[in-house]
Amino acid sequence: MWWSVWDRLNILIFARLWCRCFQASDFIGAERFYTRAIIHDATNPAYFTNRALSRLKLSLWEAVIDDCQHALDLLPTSLKAYTYLGQAQLALDRPNEALSSSQQAYKLAIAVRSPSAATIAGTVLQAKKRKWEVSEDRRIMEEGGLLGKLVKMLTEEGEKEVSAVETQWSLGKEEGRVHKEHRHEEGGEWNKNREGDTQALEAAVWEEIEARKHSTRERINLLKDVFARADPAKYKPRIVPDHLIDNITFCIMHDPVITKHGQSYERATILEHLRRSKTDPLTREPLTEEDLRPNLALRVACEEFMRENGWAVDY
Amino acid sequence: MTFATRRLRKIVGALPPGITLVRAEDFKEWQLDIRVLDDNPIYKGKTYRLSFKFNINYPIDAPIVTFVEAPGITIPMHPHIYSNGIICLDLLSSGNGWSPVQSVESVCMSIQSMLTGNTRNERPEGDADFVRSGNTNPRNIRFVYDDPTV
Repeated sequence: MWWSVWDRLNILIFARLWCRCFQASDFIGAERFYTRAIIHDATNPAYFTNRALSRLKLSLWEAVIDDCQHALDLLPTSLKAYTYLGQAQLALDRPNEALSSSQQAYKLAIAVRSPSAATIAGTVLQAKKRKWEVSEDRRIMEEGGLLGKLVKMLTEEGEKEVSAVETQWSLGKEEGRVHKEHRHEEGGEWNKNREGDTQALEAAVWEEIEARKHSTRERINLLKDVFARADPAKYKPRIVPDHLIDNITFCIMHDPVITKHGQSYERATILEHLRRSKTDPLTREPLTEEDLRPNLALRVACEEFMRENGWAVDY
Repeated sequence: MTFATRRLRKIVGALPPGITLVRAEDFKEWQLDIRVLDDNPIYKGKTYRLSFKFNINYPIDAPIVTFVEAPGITIPMHPHIYSNGIICLDLLSSGNGWSPVQSVESVCMSIQSMLTGNTRNERPEGDADFVRSGNTNPRNIRFVYDDPTV
């Protein structure tokens, strides 16, 4: 009795504090609160998924994966765990894993009618696109030739830039530590400030690295585009056929459903519309969720197109 | 990239006659000028400016569409357009009026034809009171669509 009251009180306090942290975008604070919650009760999957979300915001991808796996051990049907897992795996550039996690998340989201289905469908498509990019790169490398060599050079140059930033940063950190030891007597307040500085600096370095990676990717894409245009035999204009595109979001579909009037939409999008208005978007006649049927042939057509044309995701 | 920006990015291209894009610096607010193409004496030779405000859920959510004033540009006279620019048109209402397959062009064209078909050079009933109430967000207003001819 005593304990259950104490537990409940604790959970209430945690929930309150956590909310405040999230509102203030204090994800470090939120992460700490959830670590404490987990120490208090390691059998609650929600603590793990909530910490995973804070860690996702902090870009601690490996830690997100850890938390999601814990949550899935406790609750194998956790929609949030699969969602965050897919996002973290995508960020770590593991498109195959990201695809299977986000497909699992999508299935669960549709089953419980979660409004996050549209976002998850986006992750599924991004994972597919990344898979296509990886296989395209492999093809270009295998074909050898000038393009392969140039891409390799640009990639290496990009890696060099990133490691230069990293080296500079770790040298700076060494120096900082020496300073800190010197000034230790000057009191705790100063040290605290210093810690804040380090955090800000770390964020700046991270941003710098991401910027370098981004510009390398851009350069490579530009190069590939130039080569594609120079080779009219292989060059095809990048256009997604209209029938593969969802008429509401204008994105290529991944789980199309057909209405009783014959028009197909991405399932997550049309469900979002039906939540607001139970009408057919084209004819304005009554339309409910039960009237929607999966359009399997179109689904296969979209999948096939995506396999050859991963760029279609950003079209 | 959100759905909203993707949708909007794609239409910056050919616009139907009588419709020109004035401002589209971001994906939050756009301004378009429209002209009535026939000889309707109320609107002949005049250009009006529409403001579209999009939220992140566009096109699932309707955009907020109003007429705005600018140097040399007034709010058109129409029994369903208040003098502060608010338009009373069912397809712009978030309930069952808006449909996510509508686009900026199709809304402009609907408003164009709403002006073309009008013969009454007047404001809606209670215009002065409505404008004085200071309500500038059409979302907060419940219109009663009692005139099936428009």
